[in-house]
Amino acid sequence: MMASKLTRTLRDNWLLILIFIGLLVFPHAVGWLTGSSPMGVPRGDRMIMRGESVRWQAVLIELFILSILAMSYNLMFGFTGVVSFGHALFFGVGGYVLGLALEYTQMETGTALVMGILGGVAICGILGLLIGLVSLRLRGVYFAIFTLAIAEMFFIYFGRLSLTRAEDGFSITDLPQWIDPAQNRLNYYYVALILFVLTFLFIRRLMNSPTGAVFKAVRENEDRAQSIGYNTLNYKLLAITLAGMMAAVAGMLQIILNKKVGPEILGITYTVDPLVMTIIGGIGTFTGPIIGTTGLHLLETVLREATITLGPIVIRVTDIWGVLLGGIFILVVMVFPQGVVGTWARWTARSAKSEPPA
Amino acid sequence: MAVRRSSIVAIIVVIVGLLAFNLLKSGGNLGNFGITVLSGLFQGMLLFLVASGLSIIFGLMDILNLAQGTYFMLGAYVAYDVQHAGGVVDLTSVVPDPNLRFPIAVAAAIVVGAALGVVLERGLLRRLYSRPIFQLVLTFGVSLVIIELIKFIWSTTPYSWTEVFGLRTQTFELFGQGFSVYRLFIIGMGFLLIIGIALLLRRTRTGIIIRAGVEDSAMVEALGINVRSVFTLVFTLGCAIAALGGAVAAPFLGASSSLGNAFLLQGIAVVVLGGMGSYEGTAVGSIMVGLAIAVAQDAAIGTSFSVLPSITPMLVLILILLLRPSGLFGNTR
Repeated sequence: MMASKLTRTLRDNWLLILIFIGLLVFPHAVGWLTGSSPMGVPRGDRMIMRGESVRWQAVLIELFILSILAMSYNLMFGFTGVVSFGHALFFGVGGYVLGLALEYTQMETGTALVMGILGGVAICGILGLLIGLVSLRLRGVYFAIFTLAIAEMFFIYFGRLSLTRAEDGFSITDLPQWIDPAQNRLNYYYVALILFVLTFLFIRRLMNSPTGAVFKAVRENEDRAQSIGYNTLNYKLLAITLAGMMAAVAGMLQIILNKKVGPEILGITYTVDPLVMTIIGGIGTFTGPIIGTTGLHLLETVLREATITLGPIVIRVTDIWGVLLGGIFILVVMVFPQGVVGTWARWTARSAKSEPPA
Repeated sequence: MAVRRSSIVAIIVVIVGLLAFNLLKSGGNLGNFGITVLSGLFQGMLLFLVASGLSIIFGLMDILNLAQGTYFMLGAYVAYDVQHAGGVVDLTSVVPDPNLRFPIAVAAAIVVGAALGVVLERGLLRRLYSRPIFQLVLTFGVSLVIIELIKFIWSTTPYSWTEVFGLRTQTFELFGQGFSVYRLFIIGMGFLLIIGIALLLRRTRTGIIIRAGVEDSAMVEALGINVRSVFTLVFTLGCAIAALGGAVAAPFLGASSSLGNAFLLQGIAVVVLGGMGSYEGTAVGSIMVGLAIAVAQDAAIGTSFSVLPSITPMLVLILILLLRPSGLFGNTR
């Protein structure tokens, strides 16, 4: 009985498991291929983060962070149909709380890390709940601009707050050795990878549960879900609270990676990115946000050095990356509103249908 | 339109309250008070230029154009570029007189705003009328593209207006305090525009179609009127007016990539305060929010809470959404 269940799980998820194993060995594989150590280069008793393997670890960690953010956004936008323009709020507040705990408290480093993480997740959960409580009775557009206003207010406020050194922000110096991305990046890579996988599994489990079914019902037709007898407000609250907590985790990973906390983590970029990447990847799908984030992030990393030559004008791709991203986004919204994953699913379904019955 | 008495009372209470607070704070110093009121009106007029388009477009087409602030910003950049030496267009040798170049700069901003407005409505939004959430998301995306294009063309460094021209330098005295004639000119122009648009909406055939469309656009279409072309007209006008706002604001605010978001949120605050789709509400709301910002600016001087004026529009927006989402003049449907 157990064995057959296991084989079925393996058979249904073979691709995901393969990708997971690939990600597990990735730093070592890159290190082996390029002849660089996945641990960095030792100098004295410190490690210098140099070499292809370490560089690609950083790229992938960023990818995991953005994916977690995009998945959390998708839980609200794609699965529950709640459009928020203030997702950066949770990302940034999570980052700030952890940063403050690490740098501005007298606690021992390890304790500060744990307390900061727990505190940040809790605060973002409560924040999500509060915002939801006061504003979720507003519908559609009004809710979206409410969240935009709240996020912008926090952004401006933290940009002027002298305690956290206003616009400059402060750097994280006090971090446990084993997780420090400038010392043991490989450890940090695995931490980020595990959180990324856990987020994915959690959202998939949630959406396959009866609660997830109600989320989708709210998205499809809130009035109808209500008339069946579900208290849709509670479900929307749950979605925004969970999404807020996940975004907080992403924000914390981000500040540890950069070892810096500044108001830019509250900025509109971290609302735009998950929105754009979720839509390009495919809203309301499990893999869509990840595929969107991966594709765009890798594209950006690869194209960072490239140039386009138009006659006498040479344009660095980095300079017009935002325009390219926006252009891709507009194209997807206009032509493939289902995103990569949704469009793919539709095509395969259509081609399966058009085959003559055996 | 039947305006509820409670709305009028609320408007009067808020305006009188703000003015009284400011008068008390300045200790009866009329000069300071006068300046605050004038700068409130000035900011209110700039807000009106962003918000009027936002409001009418939302009322008529049910689209919240999140790119409206970006058109304002674009107007500022275009006007800056045309007025100053260097940049994309250099008119300093063709039109050496800065006084003459300024109207050209403003006109150029309006033309660019209108052109991009047509592109956005005709080319993109029109195809998405069956998917409202995507329209919202699309305007967000378009604003992103325009901001990035602006950063690419004019770099990310903010510009401050350096070219001196007649109106910009003159000041007049009010109770012993100097105030720029240029700002007064903007206030006057704003009032003229408020009246002009009101006349357009009330007295012309197009205006009547627009107002009918705000009430029920399906019905207007059923009467055999091409609402879609009115949509394009209104959308274009809205974008052009926003660009005009940016252009006339540039001599004071300069041109920077943070203008767009700031004015979008302030504009939305105004529209929500006035009631989505209500023209009168937008006009009154602009003046109220403008005054509130000016009073907050004055109140924050010398205190540690210098962030207050920047977050005032958001506070107004949040409060109104919580207390009365339909706004002052809005329908309670």
